[in-house]
Amino acid sequence: MLEALARLGHLGLHALARLGRGHLLLLAILSGLPSLLARPRLLLAQIHNVGVLSVLIIVVSGLFVGMVLSLQGHYVLSQFGASESLGVMVAASLVRELGPVVTALLVAGRAGSALTAEIGLMKATEQLSGLEMMAVDPIKRILTPRFFGGLLSMPLLAAMFSAVGVIGGYFVGVGLLGVDDGAFWSQMQSKIDWREDIVNGVIKSLVFGWVVTWIALFEGHDAIPTSEGVSGATTRTVVHSALAVLCLDFVLTALMFGD
Amino acid sequence: MASGDRRLEEPGDDILVRIRGLAFAHGGRRIFDGVDLDIPRGKVTAVMGPSGTGKTTLLKLIGGQLRPQAGTIEVDGEDVHALSKGDLFRLRTRMGMLFQSGALLTDLTVFGNVAYPLREHTRLPESMIRKLVLIKLEAVGLRGARDLKPNELSGGMARRVALARAIALDPMMIMYDEPFTGQDPISMGVLVKLIRQLNDASRLTSIVVSHDVADTTSIADYLYVIAGGKVMARGTPAEIRASSSEWVTQFMEGLPDGPVHFHYPAPALATDLLGAG
Ligand SMILES: Nc1ncnc2c1ncn2[C@@H]1O[C@H](COP(=O)(O)OP(=O)(O)O)[C@@H](O)[C@H]1O
Ligand SMILES: [Mg+2]
Repeated sequence: MLEALARLGHLGLHALARLGRGHLLLLAILSGLPSLLARPRLLLAQIHNVGVLSVLIIVVSGLFVGMVLSLQGHYVLSQFGASESLGVMVAASLVRELGPVVTALLVAGRAGSALTAEIGLMKATEQLSGLEMMAVDPIKRILTPRFFGGLLSMPLLAAMFSAVGVIGGYFVGVGLLGVDDGAFWSQMQSKIDWREDIVNGVIKSLVFGWVVTWIALFEGHDAIPTSEGVSGATTRTVVHSALAVLCLDFVLTALMFGD
Repeated sequence: MASGDRRLEEPGDDILVRIRGLAFAHGGRRIFDGVDLDIPRGKVTAVMGPSGTGKTTLLKLIGGQLRPQAGTIEVDGEDVHALSKGDLFRLRTRMGMLFQSGALLTDLTVFGNVAYPLREHTRLPESMIRKLVLIKLEAVGLRGARDLKPNELSGGMARRVALARAIALDPMMIMYDEPFTGQDPISMGVLVKLIRQLNDASRLTSIVVSHDVADTTSIADYLYVIAGGKVMARGTPAEIRASSSEWVTQFMEGLPDGPVHFHYPAPALATDLLGAG
C-alpha cells in the first residue's frame, strides 16, 4: 500500500519534472525567433519539409472524409427534406472540426514522429553536442526552425484538407446522390461565416500545430540517446499528441461555439 | 610519478587547461571526486581509464557542456564555468572536439560539414571558404570525398572528416574522444599519424581520451590514468609503465586479474550450483 503510494508520488514527480523541462525547452525555442527571422530560408525549408511529408496523406484523407461526410449527411438531411443544405453541412464540419483535428492527428503521426526520430537520432549520434562544441546553439539552429515550420504548416495543411474534402463531398453529393449543384454551392457560400467558421478553424489549427510540434521536439530532445530511447519517444509523440489534440479540441470548441 | 608532477607544476611550464578539485556526479553517481589535472600547451596529453570512468564526461566538462558540482576548470586562463554564454561560445570556437561517432551532420555533404563552422562564425566569401575547406580536407587526405554524404563514409573516414571540421577554425586545442575505438589497423595508423602531425605542425594542444593503452601511449607525451573518480597515475609513458602500483600495472598490461577482478562479485560457484535457486 505504502509502496503503491510511493510509486504514485514518484510518477507524479517524474511527470512534473518533464513538464518543467518541456516548458524550459519551449522558452529556449521561442527565444530563437529573432535569429530565425534573420534567416528566413531555414524556416521555409522546414515548412517545405513538413509539407512534403504530409501533403499526400492529407489530400487522400481529406478526399475520403469529405465523401463519407456527404454520404452520411445526405442520409440524415434527406429525411428532413433538407438535402440542399448538404454543402453547408459538409463545409462546416470540415472547416470547424474535421479539417483542423484530423489534419493535426495525421501530421502528428507522419511529421511529428519523424521530427522526434530526427532530433532523437541527432542527439544519439552526438550531432547536437557537436553543434554545441562548434559554438552553435542547437536549439536555436535546429529546433526553432522546426517549431515554427510545424506551427505554420498546420493551418496550410488543414486548409488543404478542408478544400479537398469539400470537393470529395461535392462529387458524392452532387454527382452520385443527385443533390442540386447550385444549391450545394450557394448555400455553402451564404452560410459559412468568415469569422465564426474560418477564423476559428485557423485558430484551432495554430493551437494544434503549436502543441503537436512542441511535443514532437520535446520528446526528441528529451529522449534517452539510444535506439530504444528514440523509438519509445517516437511512440510517445504520437500518443500524447493525439490525446492533446482531442482534449484541446473539446476545450476550444466549447470556448468558440459553446453558447 | 612525483617527478612528473613537479615538472608540470614548474612556474615556467605553460599550462593550457588547469583542472583543480573537480567533482562531478551524474544523477546520484559520483564520476569525479577531487581531480587535479594539467594539460601542457603544445603537447599531446592522453587521459586513460577503463570504460565508464568518465572520460567523455571530462571532455564535456572542459568544453563547458556540463557543469561541475565543485572545482574549477581553466582553459587558456579563463574559468570555463564562470563565463557568460557568449564568452563560452567564443572560447569554444578556439577548441575543437572530435566525438567518438564523428558527430557529422547527416544532411550535409563532407564539404558542407567542414564548411559549417566557417559559415557560422566567419563572414568569408564563398570562394575563400571553398579554398579553406579543400585545404583542411587535403590535410586529412579526403579532398576527393568532398561530395559524399556522411552515410557513405567508413568509420575511419568519418572521423577524419570530423577532424577536418574540428580544425576548420584553426583552434588552439583539440579534444579527441576515443579516436582509435573500432578502427581497423590501417585507419588506426592513419589517425595516429594525423594527430601527431597536426599537433606538431600547427602548435596545437591535443587531449586524447582513450581506454586503449597501446595506441595511446604510442602518441602521448604525457599520460594521466583515471579510475574511480581519481587520478591513479600521471607521468610520461615510460614513468607510468615503471609504476609500482598494482592497479596501474594491471590496467597498462591488460592483465585479466589483479586488484580488479575478472569475476563480478558472486557467492562461491559450488554454493550457487548446488543451491535451490
Ligand atoms: N547523461 C548521463 N546521465 C547519467 N549518467 C551518465 C550520463 N552520461 C554518462 N553517464 C554515466 O557516467 C559514467 C561515465 O560516462 P562516460 O564519461 O561516457 O565514460 P567513458 O567515456 O569513460 O566511457 C558512465 O557510467 C555513464 O553510464
Ligand atoms: Mg566515452
